Amino acid sequence: MNALLYLSWTSARNRFLSAFRRVRSPRYAAALLVGSLYIWSFLFRSPNRGATADFLLGRPSQTLITLLMVLTLAGAWVFGADVTALAFSQAEVSMLFPAPLSRRQLIGLKLFRAQIAVLINTLIWVFVLRRGGNLLPSPLRALSLWILFSTLNLHRLGAALVQAAWKQHGRIGARRNRYSIAAFAFIGLFIVAGLVTHRSIYLGRGIGEFFTGLSDVLSSEPASIGLYPFHLIVAPTFARSIAEWRWAILPAIGMLLLHSFWVMRTDAAFEDAAIEASAERARRIEAFRGRRSFGTITGPKAGRSTFRLAAKGHPALAILWKNMLCLRRTVQFRLFVGPLAMAIAFGAAVASAGGDTAGFVSVTAATFALMMVVFGGRLIRNDLRHDMLHLPMLKSLPVAPSHVVFAEVASAALPMAALQFILVVIAYFASLLAERQPIPASIRLAIVVASPIAVLAINGALITVQNGMAVLFPAWVRLGSGVSTGVEALGQNVLAMMANLVTLGIALVPPMIVAWSSVLFLNASRGLSLAFVLVVASVVLTLETYGAMRFLGRALNRVEPLQTV
Amino acid sequence: MISAQGLTKLYGDFTAVRGVTFDVGPGEILGLVGPNGAGKTTTLRCLAGIIMPTNGTITIAGHTMEDDAIGAKRALAFIPDEPHLFEYLSVEEHLRFIARMYGVPDVDTRLPVLLGEMELSEKGLSLPGELSRGMRQKLAIACGLLHEPSALILDEPLTGLDPAGMRRMRATISARAARGAAVILSSHLLNLVEELCSKLLVLRQGECVAYGTMDEIIATHPELSGRSLEDVFLSLTSESGGAP
Repeated sequence: MNALLYLSWTSARNRFLSAFRRVRSPRYAAALLVGSLYIWSFLFRSPNRGATADFLLGRPSQTLITLLMVLTLAGAWVFGADVTALAFSQAEVSMLFPAPLSRRQLIGLKLFRAQIAVLINTLIWVFVLRRGGNLLPSPLRALSLWILFSTLNLHRLGAALVQAAWKQHGRIGARRNRYSIAAFAFIGLFIVAGLVTHRSIYLGRGIGEFFTGLSDVLSSEPASIGLYPFHLIVAPTFARSIAEWRWAILPAIGMLLLHSFWVMRTDAAFEDAAIEASAERARRIEAFRGRRSFGTITGPKAGRSTFRLAAKGHPALAILWKNMLCLRRTVQFRLFVGPLAMAIAFGAAVASAGGDTAGFVSVTAATFALMMVVFGGRLIRNDLRHDMLHLPMLKSLPVAPSHVVFAEVASAALPMAALQFILVVIAYFASLLAERQPIPASIRLAIVVASPIAVLAINGALITVQNGMAVLFPAWVRLGSGVSTGVEALGQNVLAMMANLVTLGIALVPPMIVAWSSVLFLNASRGLSLAFVLVVASVVLTLETYGAMRFLGRALNRVEPLQTV
Repeated sequence: MISAQGLTKLYGDFTAVRGVTFDVGPGEILGLVGPNGAGKTTTLRCLAGIIMPTNGTITIAGHTMEDDAIGAKRALAFIPDEPHLFEYLSVEEHLRFIARMYGVPDVDTRLPVLLGEMELSEKGLSLPGELSRGMRQKLAIACGLLHEPSALILDEPLTGLDPAGMRRMRATISARAARGAAVILSSHLLNLVEELCSKLLVLRQGECVAYGTMDEIIATHPELSGRSLEDVFLSLTSESGGAP
């Protein structure tokens, strides 16, 4: 056990020291500062935190959270426990499993490690809830939350151990754990009996009545008998006075001790399940990263669907071809759902009140196009933000670095520009059929005429700025599909985003000056003269982008693979 | 064919490689050996144009890396110890990409032959994530050999290969050299180096401690006469620089 404590202590210490050493570097220190400020503004400065906390600590929330807890745990018992509850790291599997340690000691380590997550969750929720239920001081709330999270963690682990025993030893394993299985079966039986018997109270009514009825059913017998142990666990967290908390805390501690006793007594042969769980956890982490970011291969046998590359031609076009295949195989359309939903909501709010479908389509398409200008660069990343991880390969290729930059920028800018152009065209033609036309026809025509070059120019500039960050400050930008975590990573993201915006803002100054001068000179703000102004401004922006790409080519030639790590 | 003159690479105050000079002519195979951290990979990366040397000149097939990097790279193939592949390109697409990069005209003819040679014929549509470590290494080798380079740089080329693959790789290296390619081979497998290489460059802490044919090295270190390459290596690379 001393060795396990030593492992836990040295791991925590080394993690802290490594973070501390990083913070001595100015860029990590700045990132930590910005990240901390961001979290501070989120947790401490939210103007509605009191209202949120009051809502979260209300009685309906207590019933709902108890029910959710039961459903989650019931799912674990009925459909199989969450296998990752038994997961160890790959290093732990290969070093600790063959070591002369008892299963109980390994479980002890697992529980000890879980306390880090439990304590972090406790801390976060104490901050979130600290203004709600003013009568309960934060230390008491913290203790309640710690008991709640610890008990849940123990229950997950206990369920996983029982299932591992059942899987490993069949009926004998089930018999060994008969008391815990029977206890949960009775709980389930009471709840199901209550829900079935009194179903008329909550079924076949409106959504509001459904929840009220459900809450009533769960608060009355027999469901309340089944839910009673869970009420005991959550009661201190929802206590609205110190007196109420005093009554609730002892039974909750009792439940925690009961769970501890249960888990430590369950001597299941969990090694096989733990190894499977560890692999599953690694896979889930990868999938989680894929969900949150661009760059993970989607779909099996993705290599079967391709488009051909001509054998002859400029080598840089091969990079474009490669990145288009990357886009095709890695882009996740559900990332576009959020902006699209916002565009639809805006379109509905602005245009569809009077049943103006064409107006709705026009506003939605135009809004979505604008949102793609803002968010597109974060959704489509098949450029140097992805390829900087392949820098040794890229640099060994016989292509001029500036051509590599052109091809990489074009890889992301072209599809985005194409999408935005299609949306602008849809918006224009739909606007012709719309009942209300707040923007004059000549301006709409000017926008659609200038849009091919305008969207190319703006997307080229946007992507060049983002690629520039990846080339010049690779340690500050998220490269590839990995998701970095921690306060510094958050701060880095915020800083990188601010730098992008500032650079783009500066880049837009010359085109704006030229556009403004052209408007004055032409003395025209309508029709084709506006299209001309937009085209001139786009050309100026394109020239700027061209210069930036040449500069980035020289920078790419100097950057070395070690700097991207 | 491959020449380095006074090659030096500094990382801040740390000297990774200092003043290394060597030449590899057509048909020659140079074995680059040294203990971990001796500067082998840094040297190879400089030669491949991946990192820029702090000082010194690199010439590949008559093109200096400083003035004509594209010409130099076109004549070169670098096969790293860890295959760096694009995870979203299939085996066949990797080869087509490389063919276009290096202007290989008859890719449709060469592709099936090379895939067969590397036992990857069945894996043409597979992505790197679906391949074993050895297969990924074979793909990296195929990418390197596709354009018939006149200069070949290999960093631990046998890593991950099965015994048959190792034998085939040894034969391929010899065959490329026999056809006139200049080859640099970095490996910790001294029997491989002894079997294939006509010249040896021994690095220790970034500096060249021996360079030439085995006979030339023995001539400058007569105390090593009659010893195996392993003994010679250990002697030259030990901290004291003397016999272990």
